[in-house]
Amino acid sequence: MMARLDPYTPTPASRASRVVMMILPFIIGLFCVLLSFVPIGRIFGTSVMPAFALMAIYYWAVVRPDMFPVYAVFLVGLLSDLLSAGPIGLWAFVYVLTYTIVLTQRFLAVNAPFSVFWFGFLLAALVAGAISWGVASIIYGVILSVKPILMHMLVTVAVFPLMAFLFGRIERRILPSG
Amino acid sequence: MPIRELSHRISLVFMLTLAAALLLLGRAETYVFDRARQVVTDMAAPLLELASRPVAVARRVVERTDEYAYVFDENERLRAENARLLAWKEAALKLEAKVARYEALLNVQVDPGISYVSGRVVSDNGGPFVDTVIVNVGRNQGAKSGDAVIDTDGVIGRVVATGDKASRVLLLTDLNSRVPVVIEPAHYKAVLAGDNTDWPKLEYLTSTSGISPGDRVVTSGDGGLIPPGLPIGLVIQTSDGFTRVQTFADRDRLDFVRVLQYEFPSQVARQDPPAVLKGPPVTSKPAEAAASEAPKPGAAKPATPPVGQTIQRSTAPGVIAPSAAKLAKPEAGAKPKKPAVAQTQPITPAPGAVPNTSMRPIPDPAETEEETPPPPSDITPGSADTPGTE
Repeated sequence: MMARLDPYTPTPASRASRVVMMILPFIIGLFCVLLSFVPIGRIFGTSVMPAFALMAIYYWAVVRPDMFPVYAVFLVGLLSDLLSAGPIGLWAFVYVLTYTIVLTQRFLAVNAPFSVFWFGFLLAALVAGAISWGVASIIYGVILSVKPILMHMLVTVAVFPLMAFLFGRIERRILPSG
Repeated sequence: MPIRELSHRISLVFMLTLAAALLLLGRAETYVFDRARQVVTDMAAPLLELASRPVAVARRVVERTDEYAYVFDENERLRAENARLLAWKEAALKLEAKVARYEALLNVQVDPGISYVSGRVVSDNGGPFVDTVIVNVGRNQGAKSGDAVIDTDGVIGRVVATGDKASRVLLLTDLNSRVPVVIEPAHYKAVLAGDNTDWPKLEYLTSTSGISPGDRVVTSGDGGLIPPGLPIGLVIQTSDGFTRVQTFADRDRLDFVRVLQYEFPSQVARQDPPAVLKGPPVTSKPAEAAASEAPKPGAAKPATPPVGQTIQRSTAPGVIAPSAAKLAKPEAGAKPKKPAVAQTQPITPAPGAVPNTSMRPIPDPAETEEETPPPPSDITPGSADTPGTE
């Protein structure tokens, strides 16, 4: 990639656009966190909200991990923690761990058909759900009910195709070559 | 490339460790993180509020279309309910007059009026492990930690953190929520404990045999944070035989809420028997002990041991033991720093106080019309189909 970009001298505008390219996924991640706190579910009379941030993390971890580094994942998780009233560090930990696991298995989902990509997300969501449930149970010192986290992750998996489509549009728009 | 690969690995491990450290640190360094939370919440609140507007509109549209389908049935039902409520109104008016007369007769210390600020819920519950919402009422509007929050149906929770413009409300269903309640009509006391399920539990209930499904659960006012007598929900029995509470408020349909600025009457100088401990002259000891003992039975009788703190001062010492009053006076004077203790004294409010004060907060919903901008009509449908309240 560096080799391809080297030949021309970057104008300030193109340099700026490169910066935007590099941080846009991160901005999208932060936006996703905020979005998951907007009470959209109340329209349908439910308070179960999907974890939009997890979708962004999975998507970029599989498609372009170089554009969504682990620091960004950590910050996205931290924002999640600060906005929710749960234990500090819970989502930061869960997201970073899930991101790491997804990175190691990335080759299975990259360039695969969408169904495989989606199935991979189902597994990732289950792993994230299990980790978060375990950590939260330890922190609170009680065995928490599994139902809320299960509902949360199922909704997340169900909404994933829509968000993946959006991310795909954004990715193609900012990365014509990628 | 291998170096890049290595640094990549190191950064992964480093961030994992950092996150894990944060988990541990978050337990210890709560002040720093609470502060950070408030700042972030304050910053996010305007964005969330902006985003929640279209959501509220969409919700109203969905609800309206729902309502159109049932408009005739609903009308029918409301007529029947109106007829029933008119009868209740008569009864309530009579009782109100009666209670007012009794209060006057007994010189009961009536709780001060409760002022409130209305706001709206701008965020979602905040993930699968917590049940909190952000309300756009902050310190600037007078909200403070501990304030009870109600909507038109009943108590939804209490404020646990305030920023300048927004506060976080811990819902009754949250794992960390504990609210002292009274189960009417048997008047058993308990603590309503959330566990992240839809139905909070009743803890520290002396006897489960005295209560049955359908009993009303109201706040007891114990602890002095939440005003007594606010409606919370109904006792239900789950399929596995446990007694739980179905809250009147539907946490999935929260919209406009009210933050109650309840001041526990804490200015009353506390009259505990400290003379025994300090004991100036030995000879006066028994007399003082007797004095501090004497007013108690007398004071407890008129109305309530809790408000008795107040009554004790206004009536009892003067009437029952003038000499005791003299002895007790310097004690009260010598302890001007104590009132703070009186505030945190959790056992003081209420059993007897509930009936009269319970009339106070409930009429509030009637005033909602003028206070909250949109009519409560868009909230009440939520109450109509709250599962289990029928």
